[in-house]
Amino acid sequence: MSKYKKLVLPLILVLAVAVVAVFGKTLSTKSAAVKDNRTEVVFWHEMGGPAEKSLMKIVDGFNKSQTKYRVVPKYQGSYDAAIQKILQTHGTGTSPAVFQAFDISAAQMMHSKFTVPVQDFIDKDGFDASKISPVARSFYSNDGKQQAMPFNTSQPVLYYNASLLEKYGITPPPVSPSYSDITRVAKQLYERSHHQVKGMTVQIYGWLLEQAMANAGVGLTNNNDGHTGIPTKATINNGASKEFFEWIRENQKAGDFMNYGSGAMAGTNQTTGFLNGKIGIYIQSSASISQLNKKNKNKLGITYFPHPDGKKANGVAIGGAALWISNDKSKAVQNGAFEFIKYSLKPEVQAQWQKDTGYLALNKDSQQTSILKGLYKQHPESKVPSQQLQEAVPNHFNSGILMEGMQKTRQIEQFAMESIYNGGDITNALKDADKKIDDNLTTTNRANGYH
Amino acid sequence: MANIDERNVLKNIFSYFLLILLAVVILVPFFIGIWTSFLPTADILKGNYFSTNISLTNYIDAFTNTPILRYLGNTIVVATITMFAHLLFCSMSAYAFVFLDFKYKKFFFALFMITMMLPSEAAIIPNFQTVKALGLLDHYSAMIVPSLTSAFGTFMLRQSFMQTPKELKEAADIEGLNHFQIFWKVVLPYNRISLITLGAYSFLGAWNSYLWPILVTFSNNSRVIQNGLKQLQSEETFNNWGMIQASAAIIVIPTILVLFIGQHYFKSGLNEGAVK
Amino acid sequence: MLKTSATDVIPEKKVEAKQKSKFKLTANDKYYASIFAGPSLFLLGLFVFYPMFRTLYISLFLTNTFGNTTLFVGLENYVKLISSPDFVSSMWVTLVYVVGVTFFTIAMGLLLANLASQKLPGIAIFRTLYSVTMGVSVSVAAIFWLFIFNPSAGFFTLLTKMLNLPTINWLANPTNAMWAIIITTVWMHLGFVFLVFLGAIESVPTTLYEAADVEGVSKHYQFFHITLPMISPTLFFISTITIIGSFKSFGLIDLITKGGPTNATNMLVYRIYNDAFFGGNYAKSSAEAIILTVIIAFFTYLQFKFLEKKVNY
Repeated sequence: MSKYKKLVLPLILVLAVAVVAVFGKTLSTKSAAVKDNRTEVVFWHEMGGPAEKSLMKIVDGFNKSQTKYRVVPKYQGSYDAAIQKILQTHGTGTSPAVFQAFDISAAQMMHSKFTVPVQDFIDKDGFDASKISPVARSFYSNDGKQQAMPFNTSQPVLYYNASLLEKYGITPPPVSPSYSDITRVAKQLYERSHHQVKGMTVQIYGWLLEQAMANAGVGLTNNNDGHTGIPTKATINNGASKEFFEWIRENQKAGDFMNYGSGAMAGTNQTTGFLNGKIGIYIQSSASISQLNKKNKNKLGITYFPHPDGKKANGVAIGGAALWISNDKSKAVQNGAFEFIKYSLKPEVQAQWQKDTGYLALNKDSQQTSILKGLYKQHPESKVPSQQLQEAVPNHFNSGILMEGMQKTRQIEQFAMESIYNGGDITNALKDADKKIDDNLTTTNRANGYH
Repeated sequence: MANIDERNVLKNIFSYFLLILLAVVILVPFFIGIWTSFLPTADILKGNYFSTNISLTNYIDAFTNTPILRYLGNTIVVATITMFAHLLFCSMSAYAFVFLDFKYKKFFFALFMITMMLPSEAAIIPNFQTVKALGLLDHYSAMIVPSLTSAFGTFMLRQSFMQTPKELKEAADIEGLNHFQIFWKVVLPYNRISLITLGAYSFLGAWNSYLWPILVTFSNNSRVIQNGLKQLQSEETFNNWGMIQASAAIIVIPTILVLFIGQHYFKSGLNEGAVK
Repeated sequence: MLKTSATDVIPEKKVEAKQKSKFKLTANDKYYASIFAGPSLFLLGLFVFYPMFRTLYISLFLTNTFGNTTLFVGLENYVKLISSPDFVSSMWVTLVYVVGVTFFTIAMGLLLANLASQKLPGIAIFRTLYSVTMGVSVSVAAIFWLFIFNPSAGFFTLLTKMLNLPTINWLANPTNAMWAIIITTVWMHLGFVFLVFLGAIESVPTTLYEAADVEGVSKHYQFFHITLPMISPTLFFISTITIIGSFKSFGLIDLITKGGPTNATNMLVYRIYNDAFFGGNYAKSSAEAIILTVIIAFFTYLQFKFLEKKVNY
């Protein structure tokens, strides 16, 4: 057997592996897009379900509006899962040119230096950013520079079943309710329906705890929620969060509180319960409005996120996500990405987006469009989240938490909420949460060399 | 005698009762899932299971509004290639361990056995980086290449190959066949039942894999069905139960039909692999 | 169709001894071996062995925002894990789940297989029905059961309401959530386990039962003293793969509970995934992965040993 022949078979096998690899590669890219001369702008997003449909409308609208660029949308799963994908694929062929990253990842994205500040394009292009909601913009700016452009912005609001309240002769909660206002309605609903309807629920969702703190004007971490320096200590164990949980506990004891848990379907189950008149009040993102309106046979009531008794509401922070432009693509692609961002912020586009989803239109001019005027005429309560957004005066505590590891922090918050909902001691749960977050913070800051 | 007959009849009735009861318990999730897939979501949410508004709307929605067909296609491609790769590479290495003598054979076999002890779940971080370095992210090959072979498959086929009758090999030697010919013409045909079992096992394994595809797929072009179903549920809005049940039914009905048809075959195949 | 009988199971050692005399080895074997075993060995090296060492390496460092190793800390990640009540509780939860799933899967599988092995008219229908969950994948099982556990419109809720029983909040309560996951897992695996057991029970020689019948031994006694010992190799095979499989459970948790409530279903593999791909803490995740590896290796080894000793009845 010659030496040459000895090599043939192993070579064939290696080739076979390579063929499989290449085959798999071409097969999966083949149907990706229609080929033409346009510059492709890969856009990663996390809008699933109905919101994805209306996002696709925006993308299609952009692609039809011009001939230079083509935005290729790619769904990445949940907000949570997307962050590591973005960080881990940076610099590879797979990475996006423009991506949607949610509020709590802002610190991580800024520190990564994987993105080009949107401000650079705004300056070059002469885009009038003053039209865009300042509260939303301030959330994603740092050192006076716009880092990312807010896109889908929501507000946490309190939903109530207005028909049920009417049926049982209960006065609806006021515009900016206190905890005890809500307790009153919830208890009345539970009693007057002869325990057929549960009064209220607050989902086990870290975002809601953060908002309760924001609305009470206290921070989650030191250094003013990270706005004046890298956070080093968590401060969840404070009077405001205790008050929040005591409010929940009071309703649990009265029997009018429903706990939907924290599973994959907790949010859905909660909404289902609300739509079916099994629960009277719940707190959720304003992004649910259009869905609630579409499927609701009952009258929908919306009011502001509740605040502690005897205090004025500080205002809540925005939720949702922003669009960031990656710096690992060519200038042409980056420009295309900004063109898309500009398009997505047009008054009509934002107005339609609000109507379709419930995310708030960020362009001031959107309010003058016939789309939103029509919406408010049909559903006057849809105006409430925008009003809440406008009334808030931005300060450190309602402008988001600039801290790395917020995803882990949310899980820790949720753990605390779960143990409290299941009867655990409030102070202990909060102390425990602080300790866990501190541990993570210490590790993160050490690993990254922050001091 | 009559007494014994009576007892037998009673016993049979009891057996049937138990058999039916357990069948109902096992099938209830299917019935509910498939039945509700024909109902409008509004009725499902009200708990109105006895609604008469039966329609195929949910199915039409699932096919037209979601990329479910693409997910199915992706999954079939990935699972089929993985299956054939397992059949090829596992049978080859099993052949080496049974019919060939080489230095450190025991050591290499021990290595294979150790691999069976190492969970792939523990290797996701470095493997992600390897696949990224190879430029395979978001392609079918990201799901195929890391699982082209399997230590379990090698082990299973080795056990089976060891029972290939001596006479066959002797006949092959007389005919002057080389190892490739013996492998292809004698060993593989003789062990086809084990190969089919491994094939089914590998296909199902790839079909069911969930964690790894989440990590390496980034678009609908390569996303597989197990992850795809999760996309139908969304983050900040709530979803359409009727359509979700319909998409689950779309996936499960064909697999179950295939299983019904091939049931007997699967059973003997599975058992073969299990005890050999 | 080939039928296996319990006597087909030849202890490994005997086979090996037979094998030696069976075939003559040739000088070219080394060359052939590299072709036949080479590709698998290379692939396993690249995608199993290398990542193991790499994971071990990462677990001795701290990792930054990008997942790069920055600071060597020795065993600090492990010490932190073991001393964290969170992680310890995760380990317990995993253990409870593994024991629960293994026990109920085997018990139910045996019950079904034993029932379906009776010679009754129409039994084939039941055999087909019982094996039906074999065609169910994680995502489908999760969807079906999520709907059943749904607290407002789910089947269990309606059922308890119809019977005027208090409704159980399946996924909000830690104990119930664990049960929910166990039930779903067992249900999903049942079809496969049933089929394997049925095949094994059918291959037990009928003469054994006939002899027992003649002696007037009860069916109950026959099951424990004839069937079980005769199918012990299958029993061990199933317990191995069920234990190892449930230690690695991920999909159902991700789809149903996401590890909650209060980490009640936050099992090891979910933690590994969660800490790395959500939390961005690759070092912690790697340390957990190494712990998982040690556990899986231990059980696999135990099962191999057990298999070797006990199966030679």
